[in-house]
Amino acid sequence: MSHKILVNGPITQEIVSSIIAKLAEKKNAGGHSVFIGQVRADDFGARRVKAIEYSAYENMVEAEAGKIIKSLSEEFNDVKSIDILHSTGIVMAGEISLLVIVSAGHRHHAISACSKAVEMIKASLPVWKKEIYEDNSAGWKENSLA
Amino acid sequence: MEIQVLFFGVLAEVTKTAFKHYRGVTSFGELKMRVGDDFPEIAHYNFRIAVNNELVNGDPLLKDGDEVAYMPPFAGG
Repeated sequence: MSHKILVNGPITQEIVSSIIAKLAEKKNAGGHSVFIGQVRADDFGARRVKAIEYSAYENMVEAEAGKIIKSLSEEFNDVKSIDILHSTGIVMAGEISLLVIVSAGHRHHAISACSKAVEMIKASLPVWKKEIYEDNSAGWKENSLA
Repeated sequence: MEIQVLFFGVLAEVTKTAFKHYRGVTSFGELKMRVGDDFPEIAHYNFRIAVNNELVNGDPLLKDGDEVAYMPPFAGG
């Protein structure tokens, strides 16, 4: 993986498409497991989420993502590559804020490593989110690891 | 020692700053006390501390130029 993890704003269809297109170059892979995380319009009665503003500790995000990729590549020896993209800044409900693609020789390691990557990202990437509601009020949100 | 302290998430909001430079720091414990005196509101929040991108526990040794980050619980994804 050679690109930076953080993307300013939503991960657009163009970004997703270009990464998917490049998968064709990974001819040693037999499968790619993809996780796409998008901003959910959670509804808290009078307050409905219209967007999330993400902020991040950029240097540590890059360092922690590198550790996640190294750890999973060691645990799942059939994995050929792991790509992670995460948004910073404003992402509207329905837009994409996280993209994880794991390429492996065979499906089991691709799917297992992708699932584990998402959990590790939620647990260890220093990223914060502030929900912005339809009425323009806002609130900080923490991840539940359950 | 000169230490750069960074605040993230809700901590940047309540301290009204993303960073503050501290000079003449003698230890991690002394730095934490100075930060707590400057920004007493952070005592109301949960946070972890990283030194140069690594989470720390206890009382790590600091060196000149280190970056100390105050980080609320993560919320990526």
